[in-house]
Amino acid sequence: MLGRRSGLLLIAILLLSWEMTSRTGLVTSENWPPVSAILAGLVLETLYGDLVQVIGATLSRFALGYVIGICAGAIVGFTFALVPFVRRMFEPIIELLRPIPAPALVPPLVLFLGVDDLMKVTIIAVTAFFPVAINTMQGASGVEPIYLAVARTFRTGPARVLMKIIMPATLPYVLAGMRISLALALVVTVVSEMIAGASGVGYYLVLMQYAVRSADMYAAIFVIAALGFALNAAFLAAERRLIFWYAPVP
Amino acid sequence: MGRWLAKAAPGGIVLVLLLWGIEEAVDAGLVKRSLMPAPTDIGRILWELLVDGQVAGPLAETLARLGIGFAIGATLAVIMGLAMGYWPRVYGLFEPLIELLRPIPKAALVPPLVLFLGVGDAMKITSIALAVFFPVLINTVQGARGVDPVLIDTARTLGVRPLSLLRKIILPASAPFIFAGIRLSIALGLILAVISEMIAGTGGVGFLIIDMQRAFRVRQMYAWIVILAVVGYLLNLLILAAERRFLFWYQVTERT
Repeated sequence: MLGRRSGLLLIAILLLSWEMTSRTGLVTSENWPPVSAILAGLVLETLYGDLVQVIGATLSRFALGYVIGICAGAIVGFTFALVPFVRRMFEPIIELLRPIPAPALVPPLVLFLGVDDLMKVTIIAVTAFFPVAINTMQGASGVEPIYLAVARTFRTGPARVLMKIIMPATLPYVLAGMRISLALALVVTVVSEMIAGASGVGYYLVLMQYAVRSADMYAAIFVIAALGFALNAAFLAAERRLIFWYAPVP
Repeated sequence: MGRWLAKAAPGGIVLVLLLWGIEEAVDAGLVKRSLMPAPTDIGRILWELLVDGQVAGPLAETLARLGIGFAIGATLAVIMGLAMGYWPRVYGLFEPLIELLRPIPKAALVPPLVLFLGVGDAMKITSIALAVFFPVLINTVQGARGVDPVLIDTARTLGVRPLSLLRKIILPASAPFIFAGIRLSIALGLILAVISEMIAGTGGVGFLIIDMQRAFRVRQMYAWIVILAVVGYLLNLLILAAERRFLFWYQVTERT
């Protein structure tokens, strides 16, 4: 704990020197607003500006795309694991599409779907899809064979085996995939708003950069970082509750 | 060979059917050519790009940026990660700062970096290095902190100095973790290379994709996306090969 205090002190010193270099004119630049101005901008924009709406637009887009992506990913992953023939049929396509960096898919999707929410939700869903699909497939095909053998010995029906053995055994993998997807999907949400935006935090960020309102630009980055942090923390908390029985093998 | 063919056949057939279906749909006018050109058209453009050698310039530009940014980010991350893993004081000093900076999606840092570094290579390389830095750092710290204490105590008893202890024991012992971080971060680095070229680009594959879209040269756009996919795939293979070469002593649990 003593160690952590030095770390917090370091952050305080860095912030303070940022503030001082800007206030005393050591660094005079449009791009170097004092920290206090950023925080003031954040508060003012939240209270009187449209920052709340901006965040709302980003979050709702993100949530919709993410949920669609992970559901599709889990369904495809399970299907691939349980029906090997389907996996053999469609895996090459997935393997071909997977290495494409998601932002590169924004331009063609703009052609098909325009620059509106539909395009953004689609690209977010596509991004969220792959890690969940791959992880689910791995988890569901790696269920401990003894459990399945025991179930067969007791003549457990296939539906029960799926619900009571395969699903719970796969859950940690699905969640691991979901957490990777969470970070990636947030990146892509911001990127799609930056490239083809009319609303959302990503658009706001680029707008403030063009308008040379650097304090508000940093405020937007702060908001994005806070979103990332909060989403990840919420996810970890949910994960601990859902799979409290699971201890990862080191 | 026969078994392999039987396994690969369904996938190959579906793939060919899909491409053929798109081809026919485009020819029949079901899909607008301005949105989705026929696969054979894209293939022809791809072939021309490859034969003319036109592919080399932009690809080299993007890969050079990725290579330099990756080298800087990964090297710094490994050095810092080992230091943080070995000295608890260093860990305590930097851990809160890193936890503060890590959740920022690195793409959001492109606009401020543009303000400071302009739209040139310095900005792009910095954003790639930033994207690469954090996953490698986190993994290195995790690896270095998890080194078997018996190894470290033995080395200390034998009078090994801290620097060579880091190099000869902690670095190799955390190598599997470092490689896991590298594999994650090369994908992120490629994403950032593409994004930074899209947002503030004058060249490179990312710039070309968005430029071709704006110019409605759709076939070229798809051809470059295919090239990018191949690059992503090959980079992953390269890392896996390097992992096998350097970590031959480490039992990796099979991952697909």
